[in-house]
Amino acid sequence: MEHTDKKTAFNQGLIIFIFLAVLTALEFFIAIVMDAVVLLIFIALIKAGLVIYYYMHINRLNREDDGPEESYSFKTNTNRLGMWLFLLSDSFIFGGLMVARINLLGLTRPHLDQSLGLVVTAVLLISSFFMNRAETAMEHGDRKGFLVGTSLTLILGIVFLLGVVGIEWPQAIHEGITASSGAAGAIFFMMTGMHAFHVLTGVIFLVIILRNGARGLYNEEKHWAVEAATIYWHFIDVVWIFFYPALYLIGELL
Amino acid sequence: MNKLKPIWRALLLLLMGGFVGYALGVGLDALIGGTVDFVAPISGVFSLLGSATAFFFGLIGYRGITKGLVYQIIGTFVGAGFVTAIRAFMGLETFGSFFFTEPAWVFGGLVGTLSFLSGVGAFADWYKWAKGESTPEHHQDPEGFIKYFGVSLDHKIIGIQYTVTSLFLMGVGGTFAMIFRTELAASRLQFLTTTFKAFDQNGLQFYNTLMSLHGMVMIAGILLGVAGMINYLAPMLIGAKDMAFPRLNAFSFWIAVPGALLLLSALFLGGFDTGWTGYPPLSTRSPLGIQMFFLGVYMVGWSSILGGLNLIATVVRLRAKGMTPFRLPIFVWAAIATSIISLTATQLIGLSFQLVMFQRLFDMGFFDGTRGGNPVLYQHLFWFYSHPAVYVFVLPGLGIISELLPVFVRKPLYGYRWVAMSSLGIALIGFLVWAHHMFASGLNEYLRVPFMYSTLLVSIPTGVKFFSWVATLWKGKISTPTPMLFVLGGIIVFLIGGLTGPPSATVSTDLHLHDTYFIVGHFHGTIFGGYVFPFFAAIYFWFPKATGRRMSEKLGKLHFWIMTPSFLVMTFAMMRVGLLGMRRRIADYDAMLGFDLTHLITTIAGYLIFISVAIFLYNLFHSMNHGEKAEGNLWNSRSPEWLVPSPMPVHNYDQAIEVVGEPYDYGLAGSKYVDFTNNK
Ligand code: HEM
Ligand SMILES: [Cu+2]
Repeated sequence: MEHTDKKTAFNQGLIIFIFLAVLTALEFFIAIVMDAVVLLIFIALIKAGLVIYYYMHINRLNREDDGPEESYSFKTNTNRLGMWLFLLSDSFIFGGLMVARINLLGLTRPHLDQSLGLVVTAVLLISSFFMNRAETAMEHGDRKGFLVGTSLTLILGIVFLLGVVGIEWPQAIHEGITASSGAAGAIFFMMTGMHAFHVLTGVIFLVIILRNGARGLYNEEKHWAVEAATIYWHFIDVVWIFFYPALYLIGELL
Repeated sequence: MNKLKPIWRALLLLLMGGFVGYALGVGLDALIGGTVDFVAPISGVFSLLGSATAFFFGLIGYRGITKGLVYQIIGTFVGAGFVTAIRAFMGLETFGSFFFTEPAWVFGGLVGTLSFLSGVGAFADWYKWAKGESTPEHHQDPEGFIKYFGVSLDHKIIGIQYTVTSLFLMGVGGTFAMIFRTELAASRLQFLTTTFKAFDQNGLQFYNTLMSLHGMVMIAGILLGVAGMINYLAPMLIGAKDMAFPRLNAFSFWIAVPGALLLLSALFLGGFDTGWTGYPPLSTRSPLGIQMFFLGVYMVGWSSILGGLNLIATVVRLRAKGMTPFRLPIFVWAAIATSIISLTATQLIGLSFQLVMFQRLFDMGFFDGTRGGNPVLYQHLFWFYSHPAVYVFVLPGLGIISELLPVFVRKPLYGYRWVAMSSLGIALIGFLVWAHHMFASGLNEYLRVPFMYSTLLVSIPTGVKFFSWVATLWKGKISTPTPMLFVLGGIIVFLIGGLTGPPSATVSTDLHLHDTYFIVGHFHGTIFGGYVFPFFAAIYFWFPKATGRRMSEKLGKLHFWIMTPSFLVMTFAMMRVGLLGMRRRIADYDAMLGFDLTHLITTIAGYLIFISVAIFLYNLFHSMNHGEKAEGNLWNSRSPEWLVPSPMPVHNYDQAIEVVGEPYDYGLAGSKYVDFTNNK
């Protein structure tokens, strides 16, 4: 278990969030004023690194086992390894989509609603902040904090889904970017669709931990399900950290 | 009926299920058909699912897999009906020449798969966890053979489930090959002619379907066989009680079952003509069968991905005390290398298939050059998996060779560390060579040479393995019971297959060899040498561990001595016609090319292989109950699983294991590999 006290942990989450927010804004303005692909990739890498290290706690993979094979902590360590292996595998889907995007579109991008893109990106980022708060709360046995944080994450996740699938998709279709209009449309719907599918599964995961959390099934020692949902949720955010510039910021308008 | 033995009852029901399914199809056709005739596809699918269900019902009653199949049939219809209803509501076409429309079949296939999984019970514990209930760590498996037909969490049972399913699929795929090989025995069309009709396909279409399905059904069979070996052996070899995630393990097996059925259903739904590679643009225009092929492989792919995940976690977390990385059995190293590939790269064949599926369903233009798409992109995504995949097929087999050789030579394995690292080396370099399949695809010119060299680089770690095998054999006390025969056969055949790799990898020669029968000879050589022979060796070797009886040596030797020469003749004959200009994947060739005789020989050799495998299967099923008893350390092995009685106890080792020495120090006085400690 972490021995940082709750306040420090909350503050750390907040500071990381501020960094992420500033970097996102920076990204957006850089893309407006100049054509700087490498810089944008670099910023995305930093953002992803921050989330992976501070929100997903990749270093927990190094945790020593403090119990025999049957103990909860030993099993949690095994589960954590399994979860990360799954994400490694999953990231090959998204990597493949990225390759398809680069291969087909190169340095061009479809004409999408910039402000909407920024808003949904911000929504997902804020949801990650609350997810981190929820997990931190649970680690310190604060059930109420957990429930509030998870509920907010859940709501923001649904808002993100509505933003992408409910607003962005019809708008794009209205602009003439449809699934069958050409490579750009196909790539746009495939990338956002695959990501939205993952957000949807993440939302389901959140509903499960919210319900079980409300019934008091988790405590500060035993809450692997919460940790797993958290890691998964942040992973979805990491994917978007790359997909957002790939779809909205990089390259000339088609 | 109840007096019959279950197996006869099951076979009888299988026939009846087929007929009932067929009649149902005809009935539906009469009911809804009108102007379209879809008797063949719908009755075909019904007969397939119906006979499978009836068979298992006869064997085990309404439980386990039977329940899964019933759920799958219902799920398929609910899913397809749902889409059909929506289409009717939207004013779109509701029924087509395959009864349901293409989107309806695809969605039905998906829902059917999930229904199968919930019917068989693969989700049961997870569902309880999601509801916040807890489940016991292990479930008691039923007594007797029934335990193999339902969800079990025991890695040994799952390993056997995988292996038997794999043998079944290889039998089906092999039968397909026998049919189209018969057509190829002489030039001109013999029986697969344009007037031939099967499942609404004429002879030529049927040839294409069989040829394409042969490839993919065999690959699915190999993937399941690999998973079978890994599941059965790896936990035992590292002294673990089970895999790290037993439920995920069961899920990985069971998702392959509906996947395999989907794949086979392609035969009835118009078939497909792309070969196992499914290249667009052809695959975007193939009949409906290609969607079932994509969907089926997708499911089998998940099986492979999750199996890889499980194995890595198991080896990292659950090794016995003292089992440091360089004391791991070579097979386990090979399994790790394999799992790294299947965990990651498999996603890309899944993605490439998915993109074609979506192009067909939603008219998305990924691979349509007229709309800014690019068919070569598919080839990149596809081969990024499918080249490393060949190492998924062979690395475990090569691991088996290194594992068994010292046992039968009574000498330490030569260069243990190098061999262990060579598996990883092959797997990692294997990620960098995929475009050697694309030299003739219009790939950018400047990419050819780097891919040629990276491919040739793979020969180095592969050579390390050969060097070690030969040095291990050198001056050993060689004995040759059946498993050892297959090990030696594997080495020789793999050598021949492997040596034909570099000419295919060299751009200048490959432009001539590409898409000829030479390539067919090449990969049959590598796959037989690297997978089929070692797989048989492993079965002959560990069969006593699983059953407490041994397989007949006489029949085993007969199997070997028919299969090996036939195979060598077959592969050389294939290479010969390839060099003389025989294109692969075609149903006919010109008599003027002058290789009719070689083709005839290939076909005869193919039959002989088929017969030898039939002997093996007879031996396998007969020896289960009638084989000679073998409960001790039959092969005089040092590996811990042989130091406990056979068949293996449920949780493997009652006492904890401690590894105290090197695994392969055969014949060294006073050396010791494992110790059993009493305190658990
Ligand atoms: C390790 C065992 C091996 C296996 C299981 C294997 C399997 C295969 C398979 C299945 C194909 C045909 C793919 C298709 O359908 O088009 C193939 C083609 C090829 N293999 Fe191998 N192979 C092995 C080793 C090697 C080695 C050692 C090399 C080179 C050093 C090599 C080079 C090639 C090349 C260049 C092709 C493409 C030829 C063409 O289509 O023109 N392979 N191999
Ligand atoms: Cu290859």
